[in-house]
Amino acid sequence: MNGLLVAIKSELFVALRTFASKLIVAAPALVAAAQLMLVKLTEAGQQARDTLLGESGFEQSVANNAYGFFVDGLITGLTMLGLLLVAQSAYSFSYDSDIGSIRHILIRRVSRGSVLTAKLIHLHLLALLSVLLLLITSYAMSGMLWEYGAIVEDGFELISEQEIHEEIWLGLRLALVPLPAAIAFGLLISVSSQSATQAVTAALGITLAIDIFKGLLGDMSNYLYASFQPSLIDQSYLQSVSRIVRGYSDILIDDSVLQLNMWVPFPALALFFAASLWIVQRRKI
Amino acid sequence: MPALSVTGLKKNYGSFTVLEGVNLQVKKGSIHGLVGLNGSGKTTTIECILGLQSFNSGNITALGQSPKQLHRTKGKLVAIFDSPSLHPNLTVRQCLQHALLLCDEPTRSAQEVEDLLGVSRFRNFKIKNLSLGNKRRASIAQALLGDPEFVVLDEPFNGLDAEGVDDVLELISVLNRDYGTTFLLSSHQLPYLEQICSHIAILHQGKITHSDTISNLLGSTHTKLQIKTPNSEAASKLLEDIPGVELHGIDSEGYLNISVADSDSIAINKTLVESQIPVAELILKRASLATLFREITSEGD
Repeated sequence: MNGLLVAIKSELFVALRTFASKLIVAAPALVAAAQLMLVKLTEAGQQARDTLLGESGFEQSVANNAYGFFVDGLITGLTMLGLLLVAQSAYSFSYDSDIGSIRHILIRRVSRGSVLTAKLIHLHLLALLSVLLLLITSYAMSGMLWEYGAIVEDGFELISEQEIHEEIWLGLRLALVPLPAAIAFGLLISVSSQSATQAVTAALGITLAIDIFKGLLGDMSNYLYASFQPSLIDQSYLQSVSRIVRGYSDILIDDSVLQLNMWVPFPALALFFAASLWIVQRRKI
Repeated sequence: MPALSVTGLKKNYGSFTVLEGVNLQVKKGSIHGLVGLNGSGKTTTIECILGLQSFNSGNITALGQSPKQLHRTKGKLVAIFDSPSLHPNLTVRQCLQHALLLCDEPTRSAQEVEDLLGVSRFRNFKIKNLSLGNKRRASIAQALLGDPEFVVLDEPFNGLDAEGVDDVLELISVLNRDYGTTFLLSSHQLPYLEQICSHIAILHQGKITHSDTISNLLGSTHTKLQIKTPNSEAASKLLEDIPGVELHGIDSEGYLNISVADSDSIAINKTLVESQIPVAELILKRASLATLFREITSEGD
């Protein structure tokens, strides 16, 4: 059997029996669901208060469109997923190295490069499952708590459902494109670190530092893959989509930024992974 | 072709030289012990052999593969380390199932090796909840799943109780005898190595100073004799003229200590008696690996 296939099977075997992988798959969806529930509860309280005071809700039909909440759920879930993936990828190789389990697989069946590639693939599978679960949960929860529909104002359809779908799909694609680079970044930190604790701390620390300082970098930040991830200081296009699908029309979209969003993460992924392979061939295990 | 061939292995940590040209040949079907003082470079040598760290110069082939290509042996070479090297959150059975994934053609089932190593009772215990000894048993168990040709063990007796040591010694002996498995053992437990190994290599000051069969190594050392006689002075005078005998004086308990090259204690006894020197006690102190090791490691100091 091919070494890479053995390594992937080995990764999946451990992942199915450990908590961390389940957390990555389920946590973003659960947090998004909790957020939507909380928003609905707050909104219900607000509506009750308005009814008692005889006030009507502000642009209720627009604000209550489920698509806006669906996108909010996605933003929350993807923010969390981005951080979890960076942490888990930083943890993966360094932890196996800490406990020594990686030695067995290297000596017995698989080359260092294949082990690292298997980890990259495994983390992508986790990310894919997590995104699917997040999409399903957010969509279902938003549909249960609000109603999906076109943006209509004074009987005039501002944005059709077809256009909303297209915007959400574009926003989602642009938000997902940086995730592979984030995983590869975590792996690079993982193979460069002396211990799992050091790796996770460094990876999360650098990710949060980029998030904080990207505003200071101006246009230069558009060349950082992390600028396009949904994050705590969110500048992703999905943030704009959240406003678009609520009927706000003051969104200025710079096409060159969208192009950078689409293409910058790929060389970053290649660079990080190539550096990881170079380091892993040389480091002591 | 030997199972392992190491020639001119050199390794530096910065300006500190750990290995200064290690040469080691491990024959197929042998049990080769690697001994050395703390910090002598045993673990470094093993890690270089297993491709876990780089080395400055030299040539290593194990089962015909270079250290970086050991995975091409497809599980015919396995290693068991000082630490258990198992996932702490998996159970013993899960660890064995995981190891089965790495075997092309597993020759033993998880159940078989559990019984062989006496870990059946703990099969559903997570590794993190096992004692060190049982972790080591589980570690050995997972190494034996794929019928390896060559097993490298780094400090295999650490953390094992007397029963555990006996089990491991028995297991090594059975695998070597019945399956022709080659072993390279690095350990400080010289009596265990003396009991089990066919060959010993002594690593001292960055080099293999001695590497041979146990019998050849021990045969080259002097056997010590302690003689108690009422006429120690006469005995000393008589024995000092015999070729190959070295006198070490009379100790506080009145024993005359000598060493002889060929361990012929009967001839010594006969000579004394024929010269009218009565012998009250004659104690033969056979050469041991520990004695030899102490002699060798103290030579350079």
